[in-house]
Amino acid sequence: MTSPSDDPTLLLHAALDGELDAAGMIAVERRLAADPALAAEYARLAALRDAIRARLPRTSAPDSLRARVIAMAQAPSPAKPAAPRRAWRFDARYASLAASLALGIVLGAGVYGLLAPPADDDVQRAIVAGFVRGRLSGQPVDVATSDRHTVKPWLAGKIAGATTVVDLKADGFPLVGGRIDVVGKNPVPTLVYQRREHQIALSEMPGAGAASEPRRATRDGYSLIEWDDAGRLYAAVSDLPPAELDAFAAAFRRAAAAEREDAPKP
Amino acid sequence: MSAGGAVTSELARRRFNEMVLPHLDDAYGLARWLTGNRADAEDVVQDACMRALASLDAAIVERPRAWVLMIVRNTAFTWLAKNRPKTLVLTDDAQLLESAAAKEPGAATPNAEESLIAAADEAALESAIQGLPHLFREVIVMRDIQGLSYREVAAAIGAPQGTVMSRLARGRALLVDKLGSRA
Repeated sequence: MTSPSDDPTLLLHAALDGELDAAGMIAVERRLAADPALAAEYARLAALRDAIRARLPRTSAPDSLRARVIAMAQAPSPAKPAAPRRAWRFDARYASLAASLALGIVLGAGVYGLLAPPADDDVQRAIVAGFVRGRLSGQPVDVATSDRHTVKPWLAGKIAGATTVVDLKADGFPLVGGRIDVVGKNPVPTLVYQRREHQIALSEMPGAGAASEPRRATRDGYSLIEWDDAGRLYAAVSDLPPAELDAFAAAFRRAAAAEREDAPKP
Repeated sequence: MSAGGAVTSELARRRFNEMVLPHLDDAYGLARWLTGNRADAEDVVQDACMRALASLDAAIVERPRAWVLMIVRNTAFTWLAKNRPKTLVLTDDAQLLESAAAKEPGAATPNAEESLIAAADEAALESAIQGLPHLFREVIVMRDIQGLSYREVAAAIGAPQGTVMSRLARGRALLVDKLGSRA
């Protein structure tokens, strides 16, 4: 096989797929300008790519399959008669653990990181897992309301301490509701906000103290941002692009600061 | 299983939720393209998820999506070989490749071909892709429909990027040929 750099056809494909660096693109563009047959080939490939993109969207897995796979991962031993030969992989201890974990999910509590103290990584993992679960189950919140004056007392009834709940509807992030996640061994209040078809889950935890600049990360394709403010740690996760999550964090911090100003001093 | 089984399985389950579930749509999409129908695709995905879960204790996973798709395509090929042996053409066959490559670019009425391709409807595209040999079909699906990078596709099919590029080029040449010459 000729090496890709020698074969103009392979280079065309790499150019089309955005896999060439700037120097490579310049070389391809020169060749296209000089070679009408190659340019025609490029046009056909571009037409093919555009047609596939426009008319063959990515498939969604059927809900029934998703439900079966989730069930299989939660409590694998008794189900799945179709593949009994694999049942040995999961012993009874596993099954009871899985059952108790599944119960935890039904109760709406996060179940991750139960054994380890929450380091930064555990926080991220727990909130991403909570977010994914909320999206998958179609039940991202335990209390569904766009009224922060409903969410706040609901959370106060479940956990010690007050949670910062702000209305960001004017900023384009309407409130969906709230739930309790578990990070490490601690229940933490989590608010869910909406942006178009995306959601943002914001968890609040005891923090390091002084206000900090936001810290950004991505994990499994999800955007994360966290910051310290007034002795609390806030961590948000979303399927939004990072820039929009930034905008959310900025709006939340602004609104939270304004609320602290308004609050009666203790 | 050893006494450590419960603990490691708990880890595997957690990693499964983080690494496999987010890519279930792509897993199903690839399985559907490779098997050609929904019911078979569901079987393959379920089987692939079992395998993923069983190997997650030990697996080091750098690119979860490519890793999931690798398990799905391997499972699909095994499944097809067992259940649909006649449909499985695992050829990187030189003759087929040559015939695709032999057609000189721009041989006849290039503009007409281009507009025919651009006008291809969903059914025509689907049947053209479904008609590709599996090894070409999978790279086209991963790259053009699911948007994986060359590097990810290479990881998913367990082959060098050069192989990805040549299979993509040849698969697309077959599609251009087919869609550009419709009556």
